[in-house]
Amino acid sequence: MPSDLVADFLDELETCVPALRRYARALTRNIDRADDLVQDCLERAISRRGLFRPTGPMRSWLFTILTNLHRNARRSEYRRGETLDLDALPELGTPAPQPGYVALAELSRAIDTLPLEQKEVLLLITLEGLAYAEAATILDIPLGTLMSRLGRARATLRQLTGAAQEPHLRSVK
Amino acid sequence: MMEITRDTLMAFADGQLDADASARVEAYLAANPEAAAELAQLQRQNSAIQALFAPAAAEPVPSRLDPHRLALAQSRNRWQTATRAAMIVGVLGIGMAAGWLLRPVTDNPALYNRLIADAVSAHTVFVAENRHAVEVSGDETEHLSSWLSNRLGTGLAMPDLATAGFSFLGGRLLPAPAIPGGRAAQLMYEDASGERVTLYITPATGVDGPALELVRLGDDNALYWASAIITCTIVGPQPAESLKAMANVVFAQLTPASPAPVYREL
Repeated sequence: MPSDLVADFLDELETCVPALRRYARALTRNIDRADDLVQDCLERAISRRGLFRPTGPMRSWLFTILTNLHRNARRSEYRRGETLDLDALPELGTPAPQPGYVALAELSRAIDTLPLEQKEVLLLITLEGLAYAEAATILDIPLGTLMSRLGRARATLRQLTGAAQEPHLRSVK
Repeated sequence: MMEITRDTLMAFADGQLDADASARVEAYLAANPEAAAELAQLQRQNSAIQALFAPAAAEPVPSRLDPHRLALAQSRNRWQTATRAAMIVGVLGIGMAAGWLLRPVTDNPALYNRLIADAVSAHTVFVAENRHAVEVSGDETEHLSSWLSNRLGTGLAMPDLATAGFSFLGGRLLPAPAIPGGRAAQLMYEDASGERVTLYITPATGVDGPALELVRLGDDNALYWASAIITCTIVGPQPAESLKAMANVVFAQLTPASPAPVYREL
């Protein structure tokens, strides 16, 4: 690969880093673990850049790598018998546009209870704002599977956050 | 009008629908307050998730996640790995070379083969030369004799092959790393037609092997012979019979006391 193409590749990679960090942080709930994951992902991408076709979307490719790395890491954590500390909630960052409208901490805990496959779908769509088709490609699942996982994830969240019973529901426009 | 399902609402909330489909959903929502409430809930979920996790993307990126740095580190690592591999190969090579050099010489029956090979190499290289075929010309027989005798550490006469039709061109000193003394002498002769033969002579110290060996290497025949004092390999394009005849003359002059050699052909 000529050096200017390498530089282009690295520049494009750099533009994807914030999104990768965001997704990794939401998956792991741990800043160090998330950044380790992103670093692994970037290193893998750099060492395999020969396999990347410049015509394809780089973002999808990176999310695929990151998702797989995260799954592998979780598998080996389970093998080692480590447990994730669900009480160690992260800082909640900027407050919601309408503070208190939705209990964010409650939602955060609820997302943690989701099966990983639902959590991946939910975050790629609602957090990363990807198209369903792109997310389905990243997760290597059919579109229908993606939508049913997304639907189930949302139903669980609604149930766990008690949103279904909230009397003061108001539309957010 | 298309059917508005829960999935359609979800797709609408996630911004997945095109303009036409969105317009249809909006029309439907206006007429269906329950669906509108459900959509609101989906949108609230989306913005809550955004509120929870989106700030991570706005944080300054630590330098360890800079792709340019990572690429640099990776290429440096690859270089280091290559260097390390090269060093291992180098050390192994040195070890093997040292093992070869330090091997007990007398235990190595193949050493004479190496001498024959060296003799043929030297022959091939120097018979092709015209002005620089020899280091010291054959006119200075006495000087050559004393010089090469000193260097080889053994008395060396310059055989006269005039009876076989060859004139003496001269000789040179050559490195011979395979043997303890490390030196060999090459003497060159030429017949009337310009055909050349060379004698490759080393001290016999530490060289084991048969007293006589005749081998063909490439276009040349090589006749190796060892006495208690020296080894001599005669190399030339001549047929084996001619070399043997020549060898008898050489041997008689190099070591007058030795008995006539008995040929063993391979």
